[in-house]
Amino acid sequence: MSVTESTPPEGERVGALPAYLQEEVLIQLEGDYSEGSAFGHRTLEVTAETVRVRETNGVVAFQIPVSEIKEARNEPLVGGGRLEITGKNGDFFPILTYSSTVSAQFSEAARGIEQLAKGEPLSINLKQERTRCIKCNRLLPEKDGICPACVNRTKTMGRIAQYLRPYRKQAITLTVLSLVMTGLSLAPPAIQGALIDGVLTPHRNLGLLWTLMGLWLVTLAINSAVQIMNGRLIAFLAGSIAADLRSSLYRAIEFLQLSYFDKKQVGAITSRVTQDTDRVWGFLVDGLPYLVTNVLLLIGLAAFMLTINVKLTLCILAPLPVVFLLSGLFWKPVSQMYHRVGQKWARFHIHLNESLAGIRVVKAFAQENHENTKFLQRNQELRDAGVQADNRWFTVFGAMSFFTSLGALINWTVGGYMVYRGQLSLGNFWKMHQFLGLIYGPMQWFAQVNNWFGRAMAGADRIFEVMDTEKEAYTRSTTCLEIVGEVTFENVRFGYDKSNPVLKSMNFTAKPGEMIGLVGKSGAGKSTTINLLCRFYEPDAGRILIDGIDYRDMELQAMRRQIGIVLQEPFLFNGTIAENIAYGKPGASLDEIMEAARAANAHNFVLSKPDGYNTMVGERGAKLSGGERQRISIARAILHNPRILILDEATSSVDVETEKQIQEAIGRLIQGRTTFAIAHRLSTLRNASRLIVIEKGQIVEVGTHAELMEKQGVFHSLVETQSQVTQILGVGE
Amino acid sequence: MKPSELKLFYEPKERLRLTVGEERSYISVKPVWAAPLSHPNAYLALMNGKGEEITVVQNPQELPSDSWTAVERELRQRYLTATVRTILHARQEYGATYWTVATDRGQRDFVTQSLQENAQWFSETHLLLLDVDGNRFEIPDVAALDARSQAYITAIL
Repeated sequence: MSVTESTPPEGERVGALPAYLQEEVLIQLEGDYSEGSAFGHRTLEVTAETVRVRETNGVVAFQIPVSEIKEARNEPLVGGGRLEITGKNGDFFPILTYSSTVSAQFSEAARGIEQLAKGEPLSINLKQERTRCIKCNRLLPEKDGICPACVNRTKTMGRIAQYLRPYRKQAITLTVLSLVMTGLSLAPPAIQGALIDGVLTPHRNLGLLWTLMGLWLVTLAINSAVQIMNGRLIAFLAGSIAADLRSSLYRAIEFLQLSYFDKKQVGAITSRVTQDTDRVWGFLVDGLPYLVTNVLLLIGLAAFMLTINVKLTLCILAPLPVVFLLSGLFWKPVSQMYHRVGQKWARFHIHLNESLAGIRVVKAFAQENHENTKFLQRNQELRDAGVQADNRWFTVFGAMSFFTSLGALINWTVGGYMVYRGQLSLGNFWKMHQFLGLIYGPMQWFAQVNNWFGRAMAGADRIFEVMDTEKEAYTRSTTCLEIVGEVTFENVRFGYDKSNPVLKSMNFTAKPGEMIGLVGKSGAGKSTTINLLCRFYEPDAGRILIDGIDYRDMELQAMRRQIGIVLQEPFLFNGTIAENIAYGKPGASLDEIMEAARAANAHNFVLSKPDGYNTMVGERGAKLSGGERQRISIARAILHNPRILILDEATSSVDVETEKQIQEAIGRLIQGRTTFAIAHRLSTLRNASRLIVIEKGQIVEVGTHAELMEKQGVFHSLVETQSQVTQILGVGE
Repeated sequence: MKPSELKLFYEPKERLRLTVGEERSYISVKPVWAAPLSHPNAYLALMNGKGEEITVVQNPQELPSDSWTAVERELRQRYLTATVRTILHARQEYGATYWTVATDRGQRDFVTQSLQENAQWFSETHLLLLDVDGNRFEIPDVAALDARSQAYITAIL
């Protein structure tokens, strides 16, 4: 064995052009830890002849000829992994450590090294993934994903605006009405100015007083009519847009890959549908109309004031830039604090959802106080974050009001002086004073809108983040076939964490109509096999063929429609028994539903309920017993009439009589369908055409119950262990 | 098993081995913290090559000093959790938070998402941050960090 460690031989540096540089590098991967597990860089290089590890400066830290390698593997570590090589003579080398960011790639590399060592052709999927944004070099939240910093606000606004498209007419009407309202709000100060200069100061033209008052009255009437229409339009528009946003978000969530739900808690997802859409709604209903009307008002006012007196106008508006600057400056920290409040809300939701869903367990363990303490803690966190954010907001707002109030002071100082000197009429001074009052509004909301805007944009971004997350491949193919039922696993490898495969090279074929029992200890890979078969996940390597066609080439929904599942813990939806049975075949007639229920041995107990098939089952079917739920789910599968059927320990938690009924029902259900069954009680698999015994993600035995018992292998020892346990339990009882 | 009877050493060079007194020997041993966050530096489990428990040492300091040195080396390789000493920069933008930290393993940039799930508090001041790839950054005592680092934590979490 020629192993070089730490001490590089002469001529092994980059640039010296030794012989190995002429070899083609088949795999090159950069690890992100250096010697001694500190952050750094070391590179793995694999050629057809050699595996070597190189330091940043090019020095070879380790190398071993491929021909001397027996095994290469990724050893999972906490927060990363390690590439370990075992030599043919039993020597062991942990050669390179890396973080979780790249461990999936190193796991592939380990597979590649083994292939080369066995003299097989190199067949691995080493896709280089982008971890930083090409534009701004910022780290990407998801590899090969979008860079949130480079998705700009205008774009986010634009996306929200797209939801306005179906309501174009209403939006245009709203803009016109806003313009009218702005114009009308300028009328009273103008009327008052004319009144002071035309009637009150000269003490004549009483007739003008009545005319002006009449005009004022008309203006007021029109104004309130416009306001009513405006308000109603806003309510309609904002409500509709929020509803549309919720619908498309829900639709997007439905199509997300299951791995997304593995990573996120349900409460956090719910909070996006409720809280975040609410924020966008809040901005649309409160913020945006204010923004539009008041910007218009501000422009109108400035124009009016300039026609009255340019000098005074400029003086009055002098504090304005300071206000804009301040609110620009404080916007970011304030919005960050509101973001934090959002996080606390999500945490609060998670706890609330969980403790209510698990209320039976809470009560049974008498943990009400414990849950209450947790609740109080979350509640207090939420309160503190809210108070802090609001405190900050009101402080900024208060400081800003000093500058906004300065306008009035300036008006009285400069304007008062002008009136005294006769440079400005009292009427015009009064108009200026009133207009100033109207400017206060826009000033006060300016920061507020910014704040709303910040919150709404954060909410919208969180919503769009879900919408932009990778979906299941629903539309990849349109091939829609009637399945006969032959299922083939061809070299299937899969891991929930790609660097740590649960299934390794799985190969088998199930013929149409066969019943296959999947057997193995827990964690062996039985449920994973089922998850892959349902295409909840797709294989990392290898193929799954249905009737000889790679199932990734089939239309996803059409394929799933032909697969039925009966789960150990059947999930029923809140609705009637009939609705639940007909879940997979909406529109099924009552005759069909009853037929399915009869076959599932559910008909009699359903009829014994006062409302029969119209009995409400409660949330998750809580009003039915375990055995009843199971039989309803079998009836659901029968009516669904799938070509491929999956039974996941369907009879594990019921009494003997119910089990008999369920077994009978299952016997009817599986006829003529390719069935995969997982059962812990191995005796229940006696009728299976074949049993597949899985151990550590690999098939170790295949055969009928009798064949495997005779073989006295893994299955036999599993059965032995189980019967011993059953006996012990029997004695215990 | 008494901790003083456990002899842990590397034999061959990269494989941690355990001998118990004079009677038993395990050729490949994996040390694992039973509860690294709630009980740091205590309850050290030693697992055999099959991943089965050999023993749990409540106070690893009681191991013979050579053994403890060997185990410490192995633990540092197995636990890639970085202990944060200073937060040099942290910025929140939309759903993501970008961090630059100085740790016991060197400086690192990372990005976190959904902090309500990925910032885990084990006590008032003990914080674990999980980045988008599952890499771990631990702050055993937030209160012991410098003022600027603490300000980042308060502003973001």
